[in-house]
Amino acid sequence: MASPTHSTRLRLSEWLKTITFYEILVGMKATLSHLLNYQPVTLQYPHEKRTLPDNYRGMLALLRYDDGTEKCVGCDLCEAACPSRVIRVVSAEVPGEPTKRYSKEYYMDMTRCLFCGMCVDACPVDALGMTREFEWAVYDKRQLHLNKQQLLAIGDRSFPIREKRLELQHPNVAFFNVPFKHVPPKPN
Amino acid sequence: MSEFGLRLAISLTQIAAVMGIVVVTVLLLTLAERKVLGWMQDRMGPMEVGPYGILQPFADAIKLFFKEDIIPAGANKFLFTMAPILCLIPAFIGFAVIPWGPNWTLEIGGITVKPFVISDINIGILYILAFASIGAYGIILGGWASNSKYSLLGGLRSAAQIISYELNVGLSIIGVVILTGSLSLVQITDAQAGWFWNWYLFALPAPQIFAFVVYVISSVAETNRVPFDLPEAESELVAGFFTEYSGLRFAFFFLAEYANMVLVSCVAAALFLGGWQAPYPGTILELLGLPSLSWIESTMWFAIKTYSFLFLFFWLRATLPRLRYDQLMKFGWKVLLPIALANIVATSIAVFVSQQMK
Repeated sequence: MASPTHSTRLRLSEWLKTITFYEILVGMKATLSHLLNYQPVTLQYPHEKRTLPDNYRGMLALLRYDDGTEKCVGCDLCEAACPSRVIRVVSAEVPGEPTKRYSKEYYMDMTRCLFCGMCVDACPVDALGMTREFEWAVYDKRQLHLNKQQLLAIGDRSFPIREKRLELQHPNVAFFNVPFKHVPPKPN
Repeated sequence: MSEFGLRLAISLTQIAAVMGIVVVTVLLLTLAERKVLGWMQDRMGPMEVGPYGILQPFADAIKLFFKEDIIPAGANKFLFTMAPILCLIPAFIGFAVIPWGPNWTLEIGGITVKPFVISDINIGILYILAFASIGAYGIILGGWASNSKYSLLGGLRSAAQIISYELNVGLSIIGVVILTGSLSLVQITDAQAGWFWNWYLFALPAPQIFAFVVYVISSVAETNRVPFDLPEAESELVAGFFTEYSGLRFAFFFLAEYANMVLVSCVAAALFLGGWQAPYPGTILELLGLPSLSWIESTMWFAIKTYSFLFLFFWLRATLPRLRYDQLMKFGWKVLLPIALANIVATSIAVFVSQQMK
């Protein structure tokens, strides 16, 4: 238990603090110091933009090989992997080539996409990519319902350097998960 | 031109000049407040309109002019229309008795004119207090006429708050009035000439420091500013008494609030900090041999004092959270009122004793 003089002194100092607005003055000193050392944390967004991290997962896109052919083989694995059922693939045979398939139609409902990247992981031929685009605000929700041409166009503008089509890949055969010769192997 | 016509013309010119200055100040204040608040909170404030956002007040004004004017269903249309005007006029009318510069007289066409005060009436302070009370009607009626519970609550709160704190404003001023022996703001300012220790904040025989503190706190409360902004508490009452107002009527309320801030700051500067008097005797321009230009220096001193008060308003807003309603009432009636009353007693005794000593 504190001695009476101690508690009296404490009460006196608290009383003095109250009548001199000590706490308020401390707060006002804090705000004034922020005014004097003005260092805004604001980023003037449309004029200056953040550097995005390397693994940024933005808008989805369909990719092509360097000869301009689509990578997608219409396997439907992305559709199966998607947790929000964004993707709808209509797979079809290439006419006259029964062993080769392609996606006749490919739709993405980006209003539902949660940008988890599971479709990209699932794709056996790396036909899907995540771009660094994120400014996709639109006035009409239907504009976010993308078809194959739009997705390819996004891929064309976001990935100007395209992958080589595999030399050993027969044009009629789809190879899954074949190591690429021009890509250095991962260090183990 | 007849004498009456000349008098009218001069008065209207003065009124136009003062109104112009006040409106420009209000425009500046809206920008300055947002900028200063931003800087204090490590933000930037408005940055989009013009370089560094300096044209933001004009953008706001244009936006408010062209907004749709909505009168809610069930509102009392007459009172709903009256309230903003009732709020705005008292806020502006108080500037009529504020002395902006030295107490000079000019002779224009055989008429004596005081160029730096529109009307030097001998009850200046009383006049300002009276009109400030009428301004409360605008808020209360605006809250009642809107037919909205938020508006009504805001209006009721503001009624209670303004009545409580106007008392403290009036009582804290009485000390100064006792010292001067006049209610005229021109004479109160003239009595504080000389060095800055002649200002009533420090002046012997009775420094009005406590009255000054009471006045500043009560005036913050009276203008409904943070931390006493209960009538328009955003987080509880949407916007308080002007929840239902839009467009030009909202702009009137806004203008009235800022004009009230300027008025209160002017009165504080005039009463406690010597008004347009410099902190040294005379003026520098007079010593330099330009006595006809010394009014510029005096006016600048008045502006500096007023603007530092306005800065204090922003500073408090950036720092303090809102009071609870019972805290507000308790603080007003149990703390500020006794201090103001004690100050009156102490000042009266000191003045009496000093007069007996002479």
